[in-house]
Amino acid sequence: MNHFTTIFRKEFTDTIRDRRTLFFMVIFPLFLVPLLLTVITKLQTSSMHKAEEKILRVGLVTNGNAAELVTELRQSRGLRTTEGIPADSAYAFITRDSLDAFIVVARDFDTAVSQMRAGTISLYFKSSEDYDMVKRRLTATIDQFEKSLTAARFARLHLDQSIVNAVRLEEHDVASAKERFGKAVGGMIPYFFVIFCFMGAMYPAIDLAAGEKERGTMETLLTAPVTRFQILLGKFAVVVLAGILSAGMSLLGVYVAVQQVKEIPQELMQLIMGILDVQTIILVLSLLLPLTVFFAAVLLSLSIFSKSYKEAQSLISPLSIVIILPVLVGVMPGIELDWVTAMIPVLNVSLATKEIIAGTIKPLLLAEVYITLFVLASFSLWGCAKWFEREETIFRGA
Amino acid sequence: MITVEHLTKTFNVSRQQRRDMSPGYSGSTVDAVRDISFTCNPGRVFTLLGPNGAGKTTTLRLIATMLRPTSGSITVGGVDVARHPVDARKRMGFLTGNTGLYDRLTPDEMVKYYADLHGMEARTYSRRRDELFTLLGIHDFAKRRIGKLSTGMKQKVSIARTIIHDPEVVVFDEPTAALDVITSRSIIQLIKDCRTQNKTVIFSTHRMGEVSLLSDDLCIIHRGSLIFNGGYADFQSRMQTASVEDEFVRLVEAA
Repeated sequence: MNHFTTIFRKEFTDTIRDRRTLFFMVIFPLFLVPLLLTVITKLQTSSMHKAEEKILRVGLVTNGNAAELVTELRQSRGLRTTEGIPADSAYAFITRDSLDAFIVVARDFDTAVSQMRAGTISLYFKSSEDYDMVKRRLTATIDQFEKSLTAARFARLHLDQSIVNAVRLEEHDVASAKERFGKAVGGMIPYFFVIFCFMGAMYPAIDLAAGEKERGTMETLLTAPVTRFQILLGKFAVVVLAGILSAGMSLLGVYVAVQQVKEIPQELMQLIMGILDVQTIILVLSLLLPLTVFFAAVLLSLSIFSKSYKEAQSLISPLSIVIILPVLVGVMPGIELDWVTAMIPVLNVSLATKEIIAGTIKPLLLAEVYITLFVLASFSLWGCAKWFEREETIFRGA
Repeated sequence: MITVEHLTKTFNVSRQQRRDMSPGYSGSTVDAVRDISFTCNPGRVFTLLGPNGAGKTTTLRLIATMLRPTSGSITVGGVDVARHPVDARKRMGFLTGNTGLYDRLTPDEMVKYYADLHGMEARTYSRRRDELFTLLGIHDFAKRRIGKLSTGMKQKVSIARTIIHDPEVVVFDEPTAALDVITSRSIIQLIKDCRTQNKTVIFSTHRMGEVSLLSDDLCIIHRGSLIFNGGYADFQSRMQTASVEDEFVRLVEAA
């Protein structure tokens, strides 16, 4: 067995026996993420249903106007109207949560309507609660009332309602459903796997370098008849594998979560399953490998520099924010993969994944992303190897 | 055999280290070891004695190829450690007071790992492993995780790990520093066994009891320089004080 295999096997065994690493590498992405996603989605859906079905307490001041609207509101099953409260108390009642909304019909409403002017209806509500459902439900009723008034006006004037439409816009969206979905949601996929790739690689990197230094095992390992590069390569391969495993688990976790959420419409589900074809998955994973090598090199370099596990953690933890930022930028609308963004690490993976999922990736830009990532990965691995050779780094503070 | 000739090791000093050093020190480098020479012969125990920070660990790390000499040379079994570090390491075993074991491996896995790194053949390894595990009484806990073992058990595994490849040179860096008297005994016995087996043994310590118990040859190092280098019997014959400890203190203070 060659030395690389020996070191890799030992480091891998050691790593998967570490509960903390195992948790971040497998348990967290595979079980907790789907669990959290499912629970959050179900809670959100349930609270939206509740908001939709909630009986709204509505204060009503009509001043004897808008009889049709008042009848509609009174008969509405989801509303309980209260009359007799002065209009100037509307704000106080809603703030105190004694009422959900307050409708005040202007004194001259009927006169204004009869004179072909606009009558005023004031709606008081709190937009910060119940997904703004109070406003949506009441405006639906008021809109219906307005439509009937408008229709009556047109009838009175013997006019066809269509005369108000000077332009009829016919929209023809040539983007396929896959493209629309890819551009809209595709950016979320790297959000999961890039972060988990980093987190999954983080703990093995800390344990296999700073942890070894702290426990005193690095010193004895350096007296074994192997080169430092062989030692580094064995550790490096385990860190890369941990990152890829973690990212893979997170994707699997998201897939499982999507399957669990029954609220996703059938058509959308079919679209998602259609997008996850072998070619897409292979392309996305091929971006992940050089990115993980880059992460592993950075993480191991910092870990090698650290004197203890704690120091490595304090050096590495802030890096996760640096990783999240470009992923977030990639999710923002208007940021596209071009020859400049293709050279920005992490962001290029995020944008390229979006394009791959949408099926709109340009081969030249994808090649640029690959070249950038491979150059970066090779350079960072070379730097890490040089760093590991330095006595000042290995025996820092010893 | 270990031959050290005119060995010097210079370290760069960081701003923080400069602050921690003696007041008034303004240099950017420090000589941890300065122009030292000695020879360790097979079948003899060579003791490196010195106060904390004297340069003992640096010297042993240079011999074990963990550090590269700034100048001078070291040969282990005739192999130049600077030119052929991997070949030199094949001939060496290295043991410190810190057991240097992986808590999540079993003794079996730990020893096998080092045997594989030393390129031992399966049959040779199997024979040697059985021999050592019987000698040290490791069989009973060979399949348990090292993290669950007592300090004494760990030290036995550490010994097996150090000598599994039957090295001709064994380097001990303050091997008993963190151990209790009972556990230290296994190390003392190992050093004696190595001598009997005609191995070259170099060990550093600041425990005077171990010096008189084990030393055939003695080097006293202070502030990176040797202040005594010779046979232990010679050292005893030149003593101007009543005990080894007093003589050591006298020499250090006079230096």
